[in-house]
Amino acid sequence: MIESQVRLSGQQTERPRFVHFFHKHAATLAVVPVLVMALLFYFGSALWSVVMSFTASKIFPDMTFVGFRQYRRLFNDDLWSLSLHNLAIFALGSLFSLVLGFLLAVLLDGDTPGAGFFRTIYLYPMAVSLIITGLVWQWLFNPTLGLQQFVRDLGLQDFNFNWVADKNRVMYAVILASVWQSTGFYMVLCSAGLRGVDSEVWQASRIDGIPKFRMYLEVIIPMMRFTFLTSFVLLSIGAVKAYDIIVAMTNGGPGGHSELPAYYIVDMYTNRRFIALGAAGSTILLLIVVAFLVALPLITLGLNRRKPRHV
Amino acid sequence: MFKTSSRPILALPPLALPNRIPLKNPGTKTVTFLILVFFAVLFALPLYVMIITSLKSMDEIRLGHIFALPSHPSLEAWDVAWNRAASGFTNTGLKSGFWNSVLILVPSLAMSVAISSICGYALAFWKVRVGNLLLSLLLVCAFIPFPIIMYPLIKITAFLGIYNTSFGVSVVHTILALPILTMIFRNFFSSIPADLIKAARIDGGRFLGTFFHVVLPLSPNIMIVVAIMQITGIWNDFLVGLTFGNVQGYPMTVNLNNITQTQTGVRVYNVYMAAALLTAIPPLVIYFLSGKLFIRGITAGALKG
Repeated sequence: MIESQVRLSGQQTERPRFVHFFHKHAATLAVVPVLVMALLFYFGSALWSVVMSFTASKIFPDMTFVGFRQYRRLFNDDLWSLSLHNLAIFALGSLFSLVLGFLLAVLLDGDTPGAGFFRTIYLYPMAVSLIITGLVWQWLFNPTLGLQQFVRDLGLQDFNFNWVADKNRVMYAVILASVWQSTGFYMVLCSAGLRGVDSEVWQASRIDGIPKFRMYLEVIIPMMRFTFLTSFVLLSIGAVKAYDIIVAMTNGGPGGHSELPAYYIVDMYTNRRFIALGAAGSTILLLIVVAFLVALPLITLGLNRRKPRHV
Repeated sequence: MFKTSSRPILALPPLALPNRIPLKNPGTKTVTFLILVFFAVLFALPLYVMIITSLKSMDEIRLGHIFALPSHPSLEAWDVAWNRAASGFTNTGLKSGFWNSVLILVPSLAMSVAISSICGYALAFWKVRVGNLLLSLLLVCAFIPFPIIMYPLIKITAFLGIYNTSFGVSVVHTILALPILTMIFRNFFSSIPADLIKAARIDGGRFLGTFFHVVLPLSPNIMIVVAIMQITGIWNDFLVGLTFGNVQGYPMTVNLNNITQTQTGVRVYNVYMAAALLTAIPPLVIYFLSGKLFIRGITAGALKG
């Protein structure tokens, strides 16, 4: 709105006589670097990956067209299938960050004493590198010196917390570390959403004598649907991008059971040096992201149409 | 994302009730407080364990009392982590990594803020033909995961002769930050009253003159928010530093990972924890000092990283 005003007035009052050609050039010059960067480094690179995935490139780019052979190879690779499977588990498990973050935001809403202090504690893991998160949780999961030993010393002799070495539980360990790291962030998002709820809604509920619990469940949560939508998007993108925490905690192990697509692709490019396969994996990941980008406006439209329920 | 006020302030409340309604009775309040304390302990525990472990000797760590306070606290492990641990080809600890991180951080911070703020300003106030198209493109860019564009970027930086250099790492960080920063700046500048810009233009202010004399003096907060976001983001990065840097120029996070993963044989957890804390101190200090501005930074830049 504001910019259109400026543009309009610029056209009406200044443009015929006062606008120097340089003005227009200066603004364009300021935009060009970012435009070139977006087209070349993002769209160009993504396109390059798609093209490479149909070639025979191994250590060096090789433009021989091989059709979908690399995709067949990719999906015949157990590691890749495992990484997609793990991605689904990881994305689902990450939802705990949102659930816990919302609960903490609700508990902190209102006149809770020491709210600022609690927020500071819940959020600090967000300031720390995921490499450090992975390392400290690896230490806590240490079977003979970590949490497992601590609980066993308390008397529970068959307590098993050696998740990092357990192929069936290693993803839970990664999820736990990741939830510890990101819960504070979703708490902040939910707090902002809660503050956006009009105080009249609360006043009305008080007059009608509706219990707080029911208010949250039936009024506040539907009102905060855009906060949750944003959170879902960020959680999913976060899962698709997850790399550092795997490096620091498990290196994909044991036996590839904590492999994630981003880790697989980087490993393919840098260690296993199979460009076309890395590019094929990238293309699949890109398709997942594009599916999100297409679905997002549709979901937003649907949510907009739905009227919030009133008390 | 940066609205100046979220809700219109009611001139007269409809009823003489308080705005926020504390319906909680004392019992609920106590339970709420206890739950909050419980989670606070849970969240603080890893940091506590890191600190006490870093102050112990390996003999004491082998006793297996992970939560026990050190009997003879010593900074020996911190000294080893900073000065002597095997962090790469040489056993020079983290201190070189610290300076490498600074060397990567400063140019990328300067480049990304300079380019994106001027572009955001142009998009917010000046008639640029492709402006709206660019904004949509940038939104898509912000969603593209880094591994997808990683290999082509290696080729491009190699072509430019900056692959395997600290400056190359800075350039890649700049590229990764531009979409989100440009959107943040554009959104913020759009909230500046248009009359100010109009007046400056009528007074003969040119593109850059208006930016430096009118827009920038109005934006110290957004600059601080973006700086916090970029500093913590770049400091905590691992993958860009690992793939685009050279062994001598690895940032602190890569050195930390080397220390904890290359040592076969005895795993010295006190040194690992000291090294992790040393790496975590700069962003943690920023976090504890900046408070609300940090929160604005991470929520604004949520798509990044």
